[in-house]
Amino acid sequence: MAYRRAAVVGLVLLALALPFLFSVNRFYAFILGVTYLYILWSSGMNLLSGFTGLMPLMYAGLAGLGAYTTVNLVMKFGLSFWLAMPVGALAAAVVGVVLGLPSLRLRGFYFTLSGLVIQTALTMLFVYIPQFTGGDTGISQIPPPMIPLPGDKSFPLAGVWFEEALAIAALLTVYVVHRVTRSTWGRYLVAIREDDLLTEALGIGVTRYRVLAFFISSLFAGVGGAFYAHYMGFVSPRSFDVLTSMNIWLIVGFGGQGTILGPIVGTIILAPIPYIMQELYLYKDIVYGSLIVFTTIFLPRGVYGSVLFHRRARAAAHSAAQGKSEAARS
Amino acid sequence: MLRRDMKQSTRCAFFVFFTIGALAFLLPPPVVAQPKGEPIKIGWIAELSGTWSFFGATGLTAAQIAEEEINAKGGVLGRPLQVVPMDNRTDPAQAASAARMLDTQHKVLTFSGPTSSDTALAVYGYAEQNQVPFVVPVAAFPRLTRPGTQWTFRVEPDAVGWGYAIVKFVEKMKPGASIALIYSDFALQRAIVAGIKYQAERSGIKIATDIIFPQNATDATVQAAQVKSKNPDFVFVSGGGAFDITLTNQIMDLGIKPEQIIHPFGAVKMILGWGPRSVGSYYGTFFDHSLGGLNDYGKGLITKFTKRAGYIPAYIENFCYATVYLIKEAVEKAGTVDRAKFRDAMRNINTKEVTTGIPMVFDKNGARKEYMYFLQMKEVGKDTYQSKEAFYIEWDPEVIPVYQLAP
Amino acid sequence: MTLESILLNGLAVITTGLIVGAIFSLVAAGVTIMYGTIWFPNAANGQFFMLAALLMWSLVVNWGLSPFLGAVVVLTGSIPFSLVLEKFLVRPFYNVPNRNIVYFIMTLGLAQIFAGAFTGTYGRWSDQYSLPAAWPGAIMLGPFPFPRTRQNREAAILRGVDVRRIYRFSFVLAMLVITMGGVLFAMAYGFDLTMAWTMAIIGFAIMIVGGPGSVLGSVVIGMIFGFTQAVVSLFASPTLAAFSYLIVMLIILLVKPSGLFAR
Repeated sequence: MAYRRAAVVGLVLLALALPFLFSVNRFYAFILGVTYLYILWSSGMNLLSGFTGLMPLMYAGLAGLGAYTTVNLVMKFGLSFWLAMPVGALAAAVVGVVLGLPSLRLRGFYFTLSGLVIQTALTMLFVYIPQFTGGDTGISQIPPPMIPLPGDKSFPLAGVWFEEALAIAALLTVYVVHRVTRSTWGRYLVAIREDDLLTEALGIGVTRYRVLAFFISSLFAGVGGAFYAHYMGFVSPRSFDVLTSMNIWLIVGFGGQGTILGPIVGTIILAPIPYIMQELYLYKDIVYGSLIVFTTIFLPRGVYGSVLFHRRARAAAHSAAQGKSEAARS
Repeated sequence: MLRRDMKQSTRCAFFVFFTIGALAFLLPPPVVAQPKGEPIKIGWIAELSGTWSFFGATGLTAAQIAEEEINAKGGVLGRPLQVVPMDNRTDPAQAASAARMLDTQHKVLTFSGPTSSDTALAVYGYAEQNQVPFVVPVAAFPRLTRPGTQWTFRVEPDAVGWGYAIVKFVEKMKPGASIALIYSDFALQRAIVAGIKYQAERSGIKIATDIIFPQNATDATVQAAQVKSKNPDFVFVSGGGAFDITLTNQIMDLGIKPEQIIHPFGAVKMILGWGPRSVGSYYGTFFDHSLGGLNDYGKGLITKFTKRAGYIPAYIENFCYATVYLIKEAVEKAGTVDRAKFRDAMRNINTKEVTTGIPMVFDKNGARKEYMYFLQMKEVGKDTYQSKEAFYIEWDPEVIPVYQLAP
Repeated sequence: MTLESILLNGLAVITTGLIVGAIFSLVAAGVTIMYGTIWFPNAANGQFFMLAALLMWSLVVNWGLSPFLGAVVVLTGSIPFSLVLEKFLVRPFYNVPNRNIVYFIMTLGLAQIFAGAFTGTYGRWSDQYSLPAAWPGAIMLGPFPFPRTRQNREAAILRGVDVRRIYRFSFVLAMLVITMGGVLFAMAYGFDLTMAWTMAIIGFAIMIVGGPGSVLGSVVIGMIFGFTQAVVSLFASPTLAAFSYLIVMLIILLVKPSGLFAR
């Protein structure tokens, strides 16, 4: 138990130190930043897909809402990023729940498909209300967030500090998801995922907990969207379309949904590929796709999920063997 | 890591991962150049995958032909010229990050490359913010040179000006004519139409109807019928992607004659796609192999490009080729490899497009003195076509208030 | 409006509705057969659609075959292709719980592979493809010969039928149907690589509304969607028409989520 705690502390320190280690090379630092961002996003989605068993395809659209709201508040109204971001995240969460509410009572795959419809509608919305989103051509020159300093000065969150901020945000997200799943409420979610009819019969409000999970998950979508917009300096409807939702979900499924480390493992493997392979643009799609196909065939529980599964299977076999030999001796 | 008691399939998977991972990571990472007859770098941010990948790739090919030619003749200032391609996946956010990479990692002298306006605008944002010169070869959105632009230059005439040119053309063919507008809802088309409507009022040209299609439309029969019922003299047709072929065919199915159709632009594949049926239709362009008066560079480009790509180049390839030569000239004029001096040289340059001899001069915002040809299709075969010049016009970028019409 | 323009518009609506509806129905039918029978949600169905259309182009424009012959070649070719896919990618998962999620992820990966392959090959040749005008009459016959009802796995087991054979047949049939959709689209319209994803979403949308597993639902709803776009664009802008089918879908989902024709 203690060794596990040490490992966690070590990983956290590593995560915080990496931006400084990478800061000499802006290209790799950028990939690191994007990876942290996707860890945030995938952990948020994992709450819904892994633990509640729903696959929310409108996730990117909600991220977009968070992004556009934050950007508008910062660029049109001069609000500080740190005030605008929670508002944006809240907007995403509220809209998410409102749009998702009717479909939350749908089971499994119907929920997924309705998410697809809602996502398509959101992308179209982003294209067709240019006053808010800049339409097809998007919004450019988004300023980096400013950190207020004593004495009425402020300093921009740029370069290594932005990656550091993303690292902190990612760590916080993972922590929150971890606490939620360990709580009583988290266990209800798992119960709902495993057998929602039984859970309902036991008097636990299935829809109510799903809504709550959806709300928190959408919050993270919005937070990630806000950070994305300011980190990239540019947003457009294409940044938040179905393919983005699917990529995030892919990362979760690939890494192992329903586990805390799964999305992290998935992100670390998958997220850098499009950037590292930017010069081999003809092959990157094929490599990415092949990776996914191979994983589903050989590791259907995801990379980390399979590791966990084997570990548990071995532990069970081991204790079963022990039990037998004890029984034999007595 | 690989233990005996692990299942066969898991071991297999680890091997697969290792291989794929190794492949991905053994690729040479972007390297900061070693000083040694150091090449002069152009950061070529292009759409090499995604929806616009055909145009980005074809433009890059043309740019690379120019690069080879220049290096074969001694390079620029005695140093090799290097076009550094970077894929933006037809995604503006990717374009911005490609810009960042080329700036910080490769330390390029200037950006160039985008053939699509939205990716170009993303690079524009980065370029202006970080003071990197940006010479846009093919992207027509006026915002790229809006007042206050310091570092960006646009080689292709702007989209709103296109609309102006179209109306001038119609006016010459039939004063007081009526024109129906039918097109897909993309920023480019909207900008052209804004120009058309503005100038139409001032030229006495009537707009018979204005029909817009959403981006993923597949069929236009109903709308084509609506156009026909208005009996316009001319029809402005501009669909997005392959829908353009469908739109054109269906307009003609319903009785509009080819001679009534005006396309704002015609790249080679589009012209071949319109096919023999469209003989008689008009299209706007800036470079076409059918044009008379091409010089040796122009003819050379056509020959070399056709040999390399398998199809004839048109205005996109021409602009990319000519832009590389333009950059070479500006570096030589500046006399040194320095971003600010390069930008100043571009501002004051007064030269000609290397393939056609058409003047290249930029105003204070980086917009070029503009021009356009209108050609009429005469013959279309499987791989080639012939067109004839019907109209030519030059105009100042701000002949009409382009920046207000396409904000 | 004159009588002439009413007739003209009316005819336009009918032909558009039929052609677009037929193609939509085919794609949706393919998707629904796969999902209803094998529990295989195919995120790559748009890519298969695209493959069929691109192959038609190669055969007809590059090799000079007649559209009819080209169609026959592509359709018959799809059968061995589907069998191979089924053996390596579909069959291993028949007994896996939650295989629909596994299939979905896998087909997403497959879609990426195809998209990358298309971009690097056809995508370098041109941004748009079209076939010389084909005979409109042939198109209408497309979707109708496939009325089928949903397979019930448990009942089949009880009756001692080899379920795996049924799965294989369903998969090949579904792919055939999607291929036909692609072939017809190539004959009727110009197309580019963005079509793949658009069609995939439309296919899923129609499946939701019609009810997963119900081919009748797919055909009916597919035709309705085809006509809706045509009819709505008579009165409103085409943009509204495009939004209209999304709105219809959402309403169905909220009111009768299992779809209109589900059992």
